[in-house]
Amino acid sequence: MKNLQKTYEVTQKVERLFEVTVTQTDFWEAVLYISTQTEFNTLSQIACADWIEEEHFLLTYILTTDARDKNLMLKLTLGREYESMPSVMTLFPQAEVMERDLHEMYGIGFEGNETLYDFVLEQWHDLPPLRREFDTLAFVHEHFAFKGGREDNKDVKVEQKRRREEAKKQKALEAAKQEAKKQETEKQETEKPKEPNTHATDAEETQDKKPDTKEAEDGQ
Amino acid sequence: MQKGFVAYNNEQKSLEAETEGIKNSQTLIQKAMNWFSARSMFVVAYGTGCGAIEMPPVFTSRYDIERLGVVGVATPRQADIMIVSGYCSLKTLRRVIRTYEQMSEPKYVIALGSCTINGGMYWDSYNTIKKLEEYIGVDMYVAGCMPRPEALIEGFVKLQESIRNNTIQPGYVKYREDYAYYQANQEKLLGKETQPVYEEDYAGMNLS
Amino acid sequence: MFIDLLIMLVMAYGFGFLYYGLYRNISARVHGRFGPSLAQSFYDSIKLFTKDTSTDFGWMFFAGPIIMASGAILTVLFIPYFNHGERLVGLSPYGNLIVVLYFMVLGPLGNALGVGSHGNPFGAMGITRGLTRLLGLEMPFYIAVVGLMIANESADIGTIMANQAETYNIIAHPLLFIAAFISFLGFLGKSPFDVVGAPQEVYSGPAVEFGGKFLALALSQSAIFSFAKLLLMVDLFLGGADSLWDLILKTFVLFVASVFVGNVYGRFTTAQSVDFLLKVPTVIAIVGLLFV
Ligand code: SF4
Repeated sequence: MKNLQKTYEVTQKVERLFEVTVTQTDFWEAVLYISTQTEFNTLSQIACADWIEEEHFLLTYILTTDARDKNLMLKLTLGREYESMPSVMTLFPQAEVMERDLHEMYGIGFEGNETLYDFVLEQWHDLPPLRREFDTLAFVHEHFAFKGGREDNKDVKVEQKRRREEAKKQKALEAAKQEAKKQETEKQETEKPKEPNTHATDAEETQDKKPDTKEAEDGQ
Repeated sequence: MQKGFVAYNNEQKSLEAETEGIKNSQTLIQKAMNWFSARSMFVVAYGTGCGAIEMPPVFTSRYDIERLGVVGVATPRQADIMIVSGYCSLKTLRRVIRTYEQMSEPKYVIALGSCTINGGMYWDSYNTIKKLEEYIGVDMYVAGCMPRPEALIEGFVKLQESIRNNTIQPGYVKYREDYAYYQANQEKLLGKETQPVYEEDYAGMNLS
Repeated sequence: MFIDLLIMLVMAYGFGFLYYGLYRNISARVHGRFGPSLAQSFYDSIKLFTKDTSTDFGWMFFAGPIIMASGAILTVLFIPYFNHGERLVGLSPYGNLIVVLYFMVLGPLGNALGVGSHGNPFGAMGITRGLTRLLGLEMPFYIAVVGLMIANESADIGTIMANQAETYNIIAHPLLFIAAFISFLGFLGKSPFDVVGAPQEVYSGPAVEFGGKFLALALSQSAIFSFAKLLLMVDLFLGGADSLWDLILKTFVLFVASVFVGNVYGRFTTAQSVDFLLKVPTVIAIVGLLFV
């Protein structure tokens, strides 16, 4: 860890997760240094995110220690136009499958990896399907036909959003009501002398309210 | 009989309606053959999707489908029935077709789960097929996501009934007679190589 | 004569499948299931005879099941059903125990021929296992049978049966019986010696490419063959049968004993079964041979 902090700028994300950002040219040097000189000597995953708006991929090599108690994210950005990376297979043999997967799903090349042929998709001639310019729906409608009976299906995400917003509104209303009631009871309390069973009545009231709110939500 | 479990809906009706006239034109031997093939079914269970998890209870002690004469076998050569349990990815479809073509006639297919009927919850996935019946002949749909073992058993019972009474035109007959249609569909989706090519993958390591 | 032969074959077919159905039923009860109907095996075999065959690997492939079936049929025809030497004795006057032992290995060899021609690796694996197991099976069985031949000074099954009129061989030569019974379990091909066609390991082994009619032939021959082995055991050790009921009772008792053994023990691996067969029953048989 100290070695690492001397050479690279390390930010701590959460308690056991650290992050180092490098550039594409420094990558090989960095991964060589980290895997040999520091405790993070095993590769557990290579993640990739497609930032189409900023025109780059964000590759994250997740390295871990022998004891599996700390993780290091080694981040770098990579151009989207079918660029290639040096393969880390010589350091971590398990990278073979991960790189093959990335090659197939995003079209990233890995120099030094000999196995970049068909993996999960067999004889796939289209765009790599996880690139965001690949239009899944258009592909589906081009290659498959549906039977009747799907006309009434709704776009799930839009519907979810709508429901969530309505639930929020409902909650706000409920909260306002409760506020009003509370103020009323407070008024009563100030007028009346204190009674031991006021808490109980409060609880009963809230219990009564709960099923009501549920019904209201279901009704939408 | 309660129609709740099996998708006794338009698809199934359209499968059955085509051939109501066949029943009467049968000889006694054909009837006996039908009876025997309904009474004894060897199943090759192709676990393509999540529906595969419902098949072990059907074949073991809990639901014990051996009562009905349904037995699992290990190879498609010996099988009469293939269960396609759930979504097929394009890669799986090649194997399904190959398995189907290895079975000897008379052979039947049970399609398990909504995914095989119309895409199910994977309707917008680029990698799973939507209608199984476009690629191989299907005899019985069991709808549900995923169907309970009881539903699968009822599917078997219905299939046995329809084989015994000869109320459906079997899928394999359609597949044989209409092979051009099925082949066109397969080739449209999978390209010319509708069968998996194992040698190429392993011998030619430098395909990239 | 020919009517006799026909009756013998039909009886072997019927009883073989009936016992196979019983086997399935009993194991189902052991698993806590209901199990199929008793006639299920008949349905299976008749259905398979009406099916198409979609495989073709040359004539050798087709010859395999036929040689197998003829091995089983010849075996059953050379074993007398009853011990008076009048009805249902088949061809046994023309051949003796040695011929029967010879025909008993014809089946697996024919099977190997057929399987060798289709080149499916699982089939080859299955047949290798089968032949390896056969190596272990034959040793104790042959020693036991040789012991009987020495004791009776004859290789004729009829004579051996007739000599048991007072005491059965199972009492006179118990050690020989135990050795023969263990290898008989192996010949039946049920667990613990079912390495050949284990569906989870070699995908039904030698039968992997057989479909339709040839599978039906293979199934029928195995039914006939298991009944032939039951008969042989009854003839050699239980004094043969006087009447039909006697026959049914004796074969049934032997059969049930083998079913229970099969349901209690798990499957041996190939090496284990050969090891076991060459050690335990062989030693028992040799010790038994000393007492003859
Ligand atoms: S129908 Fe449902 S359970 Fe079956 S494969 Fe599709 S998603 Fe899975």
